[in-house]
Amino acid sequence: MEKSLFRYIWTHSKRDQLIVCAVVLASLPFYFMSLDLPRQIVNQAIQGEAFRDGNATAPFLHLSYEWPEWLGGGTLEIFEGFQVGRLGLLFGLSCLFLFFVVVNGAFKYWINVAKGILGERMLRRMRFDLFSMVLRFTPDALRTVKSSETATIIKDEVEPIGGFIGDAFITPIFLGMQAITALAFIMIQNVWLGLIALAVIAVQFTIIPRLRRELLRLGKQRQLESRQLAGRIAEVQDGIEVVHVHNAYNWERAEIGHRLFNLFSVRLKIYNRKFFVKSLNNFLAQLTPFFFYAIGGYFALRGTLDIGQLVAVIGAYRELPPPLKELIDWDQQRLDVQVKYDQVTQHFAEERLVPPYEAREAAEEEVPLTGTLVAEDIRVAGIHGDMIIEGGTFTVDLPASVALISNGGAAASMLARIIARRTSEFSGRLRIGERDLMQLPASVVGRRFAYAGVDPILFPGSIRDNLIYGLRSKPLGRIQEEKQEMDRRIAEAIRTGNPVESIADQWVDYERIGARDENDLDRILLDLLDRIGMGDTIYLFGLAGRINPERHTSLAERMVEARRRLRETFQSNGMADLVEPFDPERYNNQATIAENLLFGVPISDEFKGRNLAENAQFRSAIDRAGLTDDLVRMGLQIAETMTEIFEGLPPGHSLFEQFSFIGAEELSEFAAILRRHARGEGNLRREDRTRLLSLPLAYIEARHRLGLVDDRFMARIVEARGRVREVLARSASEGVEFYDPDRFCAAAPLRDNLLFGRVSYQVANARMRVAEAVATVVRELDLLEAIERIGLDYQVGAAGRLLSPQERASVNLVRCLVKRPDILVIDGAFAPFDEARGQQMLELLLELLDQQSLFMVLPNDRQAGSFDVQLRFRDGQIITEKTAVPAPRSTRPEPDAAQRVAGEVA
Amino acid sequence: MTLETEVQSLRQVPMFRDVDPARLKLLAFTSERVQFAGGQRFFSQGDPSDAAYVILDGRANVLLNTASGDIQVAELGSNALVGEMGILSDTPRSATIMAAEPTTALRIDKRVFLELLAQFPQMSLAIMRELAKRLERTNAQLVAQSSS
Repeated sequence: MEKSLFRYIWTHSKRDQLIVCAVVLASLPFYFMSLDLPRQIVNQAIQGEAFRDGNATAPFLHLSYEWPEWLGGGTLEIFEGFQVGRLGLLFGLSCLFLFFVVVNGAFKYWINVAKGILGERMLRRMRFDLFSMVLRFTPDALRTVKSSETATIIKDEVEPIGGFIGDAFITPIFLGMQAITALAFIMIQNVWLGLIALAVIAVQFTIIPRLRRELLRLGKQRQLESRQLAGRIAEVQDGIEVVHVHNAYNWERAEIGHRLFNLFSVRLKIYNRKFFVKSLNNFLAQLTPFFFYAIGGYFALRGTLDIGQLVAVIGAYRELPPPLKELIDWDQQRLDVQVKYDQVTQHFAEERLVPPYEAREAAEEEVPLTGTLVAEDIRVAGIHGDMIIEGGTFTVDLPASVALISNGGAAASMLARIIARRTSEFSGRLRIGERDLMQLPASVVGRRFAYAGVDPILFPGSIRDNLIYGLRSKPLGRIQEEKQEMDRRIAEAIRTGNPVESIADQWVDYERIGARDENDLDRILLDLLDRIGMGDTIYLFGLAGRINPERHTSLAERMVEARRRLRETFQSNGMADLVEPFDPERYNNQATIAENLLFGVPISDEFKGRNLAENAQFRSAIDRAGLTDDLVRMGLQIAETMTEIFEGLPPGHSLFEQFSFIGAEELSEFAAILRRHARGEGNLRREDRTRLLSLPLAYIEARHRLGLVDDRFMARIVEARGRVREVLARSASEGVEFYDPDRFCAAAPLRDNLLFGRVSYQVANARMRVAEAVATVVRELDLLEAIERIGLDYQVGAAGRLLSPQERASVNLVRCLVKRPDILVIDGAFAPFDEARGQQMLELLLELLDQQSLFMVLPNDRQAGSFDVQLRFRDGQIITEKTAVPAPRSTRPEPDAAQRVAGEVA
Repeated sequence: MTLETEVQSLRQVPMFRDVDPARLKLLAFTSERVQFAGGQRFFSQGDPSDAAYVILDGRANVLLNTASGDIQVAELGSNALVGEMGILSDTPRSATIMAAEPTTALRIDKRVFLELLAQFPQMSLAIMRELAKRLERTNAQLVAQSSS
């Protein structure tokens, strides 16, 4: 990153800066005229100088230019002008003044906007450059640099720098010119007054900046402390587990409080000094008019200065403070921004960066990485300086499967990372055939190597997004974009040094992985996921997913069809009592009271969960149905039972979350409500009633068995259903999507759409049997793939948080496998799996990578027999051993046709 | 049948006799009431142990799988507790339980059960007492058998 801010600005925005400067210069004559006009108005029109010699009229807008002597003299008549009377001249000149005011305003507007755009473009370029440097951080740098600090630098700290860029060159020129013009104008009128103004300005210019130096130091301190605060907060959140385990809340709170106090102190100092300086500045600015009135007035009385001049001078002087103040501010800003810029560039210092990535599209890409892998004299040092591998040498014919047996040491893992090009901290040479491994360009590494380590790093997005992450090296197809938009986007990108590719283009190289199009790609992904053991999980994710029936019309129809078929299957298998279907005319015993009342799926938050009790429309509907009192009574009983049952459990106990209607924190509040009720029915407040109302909404008699719902009540609920629907239909917003037995419900997950009912809580093992039946029907109607495709849309959450560790590891492995690497290196990716599963996955890998190379770090000899070559590490040496008889590849078991799907279906 | 009746049934189970009624209510609330059809299995021999059952109404047969097929070794009626050994010792089921007629049972989930035991030592104590009594009875039977 360029060390000098001004050079950076100049290099990248020369043209724009010069254009704006030219406009600035062009505006100056107009500015001068607007200063001069007041003088003319007062003198010529009001005082009547133009009419002094008995002239009835005077020329207006007489434009002529007198050639100077050395060009021959004479005048150039441009425009004769109008002859106007005194009043006319007054109004004419005044209108001309207004005209110049408007013109100056227009200039100022254009210049400000141009500056702003200039600044924003540079900001975009700067942010992009900084981000490119993030991609270039060395492993060492990654260990020491905090990601949150980097983020706050790129987002927040460069903002003022960008704001300054527009002003960097233009402001001093613009304002400087304005100030000089005004000053010159004053000088022209009266030298003494001019000198006084100059003197006061000089004082301002020297004293104020000096006072502000201190502000710079404080500003730097503030910037650092802010950055550290952001870093610390991120650290605490990332390590929140440890905070919980060791109960370090008070410490952390005190620590942040201390930091905030420091920040506050610094800011306090900054404020005090800043505003002191400002008031001093203002005072000095107001001082000069005092001189003008006093001394200028004296001159006027003496006759040396006429009234018009005095007025104009004071007017001109009024024009001086703003540009001067802004100039002083500019200087301040310049120093401040320079400091900020220095700190930003330090964060991205050269020693933290790897040399820039060359996008060398060499023909090397097309040659697969096979041949003889030769390692010559490899030396690797450990963290403590001891040599882990010393003089390591081996030869392996690729493609082959190689086991790196660690036996507890660090050597195997280090070698694995070296081979996968994850690190270059070694000496010696590693080559495949004649090609040096370390010289391979990054594009080849990305395409032909894959590395799966202990930490399966996933980015937020769908499973599919994560799986194809490795396939997006460069865009191949262009999508149809509106021409104007595209041109604008590309032009801006070129101007700011940003990439021109659009992320909406087709980035996935379908050919390379053997797919024809998106659907084919999905099929390949699903196949791999299935073989690695995640097939069931994806199916369940799919069932939990939602689709838009307008986009997936055929799928939605097939779902409704499957619904009917499922119903028939249940009838014929005698499983009818396992599922209670949603019937508009009947109460569903297995659903909550809220679900029975709404008979639909809440779409907006105001109908979800506790909010339903507070929802005005819902309340009015149940009030009209006369249910409110009964529900409140039920709420009281539930609250009583809950407080009785869950007393004695410590708050935060998992049983609370799982079973209780009332959270641990609210228990005491509900106890208070019960006490109030015990003292008398009328003691219940409105909020109390609302809270009590929310409890029975989640009540299911079949599950909770508190004996609160009888047949009569159920009938009243069914009746109220219609009323609720009426009330909601009247309101404009789409709060709830109602169940319709013949249509697909877009707001409900697929499994609800299939089942269209609730699994019975009363029949034993109902869930499992229903899941099996659903899976059977899904297979019969050929919906499995479609559902699994929806499963690929499942969001994994930040860092894959919404998946289990095994699922994350599986996604990581499939991500590596799908791009068909020539060399796959596995170093600890099997950690979350148990032995049996690990063995299965190993066999799968060996089968899939038949024609390619697999390097795997094993803890001991047990599974080593399946590999072609075994590398052992002893005393820093590498010992190669070829397996005598290649292990027989076990036949893959036939997929079970009626696979039992475990887990929740309904 | 509501929570109250279930608590009454639980009181009749020897293992839960000495447990606090409030805790029994919690136990009942966090369990599920399930119905088995005649001939439906609660669980099969060799299955992983995931729950215990208290028979509220109906009858169930205990079956052992031998070389010559399933042999009925016992019959269980109301208030019988079954499957608790599996969840306490974390071993697979030692026998098959099959409903002889339509039966209603309370299904106590393993994880919930262990959580409650961890939370309320009195419950653990009561259960340990019951197990000790069973052991004594078994010892007495062995002594009686060996001497006869």
